[in-house]
Amino acid sequence: MAMKLSIFVALIALLLPLLSTAFSPETPTDRRILVLLDDQSIKSSHSIFFKSFQTRGYDLDFRLADDPKISLQRYGQYLYDGLILFSPQAKRFGGSLDLAGVLEFVDSGRDLVIAADGAASDLIRDISTECGVDFDVDSAAMVIDHTSYAVSKTDGDHTLIASDEFIQSDVILGSEKIEAPVIFKGIAHSLNPANSLVLKVLSASPSAYSANPEAELSSPPSMSGSSISLVSVVQARNNARILISGSLDLFSDRLFGSGVQKAGSETTFEKSGNEQFVTELSKWVFHERGHLKAVSIQHHKVGEVVEPAMYRIKDELEFSVEIYEWSGKSWQPYVSDDVQVQFYMMSPYVLKTLSTNQKGLYSTSFKVPDVYGVFQFKVEYHRLGYTGLSLSKQIPVRPFRHNEYERFITTAFPYYGGSVSMMAGFFVFTIVYLYNK
Amino acid sequence: MVKTTSKDAQDLFRALRSAYAATPTNLKIIDLYIVFAIMTAVIQVVYVGIVGSFPFNSFLSGVLSCVGTAVLAVCLRIQVNKENKEFKDLPPERAFADFVLCNVVLHLVIMNFIG
Repeated sequence: MAMKLSIFVALIALLLPLLSTAFSPETPTDRRILVLLDDQSIKSSHSIFFKSFQTRGYDLDFRLADDPKISLQRYGQYLYDGLILFSPQAKRFGGSLDLAGVLEFVDSGRDLVIAADGAASDLIRDISTECGVDFDVDSAAMVIDHTSYAVSKTDGDHTLIASDEFIQSDVILGSEKIEAPVIFKGIAHSLNPANSLVLKVLSASPSAYSANPEAELSSPPSMSGSSISLVSVVQARNNARILISGSLDLFSDRLFGSGVQKAGSETTFEKSGNEQFVTELSKWVFHERGHLKAVSIQHHKVGEVVEPAMYRIKDELEFSVEIYEWSGKSWQPYVSDDVQVQFYMMSPYVLKTLSTNQKGLYSTSFKVPDVYGVFQFKVEYHRLGYTGLSLSKQIPVRPFRHNEYERFITTAFPYYGGSVSMMAGFFVFTIVYLYNK
Repeated sequence: MVKTTSKDAQDLFRALRSAYAATPTNLKIIDLYIVFAIMTAVIQVVYVGIVGSFPFNSFLSGVLSCVGTAVLAVCLRIQVNKENKEFKDLPPERAFADFVLCNVVLHLVIMNFIG
């Protein structure tokens, strides 16, 4: 009996975490995150960053990168909804996790944070390359900026730089403006020009370059100016989000709390912009902002409520769709004035901007074009920082029925008269012809 | 020279009229009927040039009813003409019956198409 009870308890204990990790479209926020570290000291040196996750209700699972028990999935089910790689030096991961495993994790729509560092391993570089960014190949190179460095007593080689060149997007960085510059000490990366999904969130100033600060610069640096990205994000087509940073220190308590004065500027900030920048960015990466869903696509003829199976050409119709944004806790109405609907057959015949009632309902009305065939209602909404919406609903359009055409048109009366006079003429002609003897 | 030409033309018309006067009365009636049909068609073509081609199906049926009537009348004229040896075995009553049948079919089609 005690044996049975203990098996039952063990079973419940095994199942409970599985039930709680459900990543559902109803609540798109990740709940369980695996954090891979190079050594346990990162846990304390980056505690503010991790603490902010825990206060937002996340469940963090810290592991050393070479822990042999690491496994992202069990019985084909993912155990985690997000992965944070704070292990820039890991040559290989422990357990069954490898490059392909991380990419599969992203392909399943889950999120990833990568922090590289001066000594970034090939594994981390390979993962980043797959995500569309290329770190500087010179492993000793760091980002150096002699004009917009952060003034400090100890740093003489200007590798501690202060940047305030953020991406202009409220949805990625939050609506509150980041006043203080972000301090960054790490390596440079560039975006793969063939990848249209990757975005620079924090870029270096035009005077920055990537070189080894210890050695004399004998040849032009491989990367320089604004093409250097310090922090980048990717939103994949399956809405998985990836954050790639060239610096692990960016997330550290030390830089969160340190004051910052940008070289050449009079203003000294008590606190750097790092904490706000990183926290807001992590909210975006883990889908607390900018995740849209569209529900109840409806259409009907003007004056009716039932959705017909087919429209006739030149019908007046009304179309509506509801769009909500996930706020981290609940679905809030999404308000925008640039959502458009297409009435589409090979090309859009009608393209109309939807008007919103500020409560998430978008609607418009238009006239079906004078063309029949199989049409689609299409909403293609792709905006910077938001998950993409691609909706389509098929609807056939038929021509007029034989008895639906307009009749007795005034303009046509001469033609009616012409043909009637021909009939009358035929009648008169017949009589005259037969009786003219 | 000019005078000679106008005189020739007058002579020509006079010759035509005197020759036409010899035509049997029933053929003259058919000719009159053909002229009436063609005039109606011309009026409708002028009208479509003024107001535009909408509604096109009505225009087509209006004009084609005139043209069809004229063509059928021409056919009747060929068949009932005594001097035409080709149809000498065909009685004029039979030709007229054919003409009536074709006209009935034509006008049914026209009524259906005119809208």
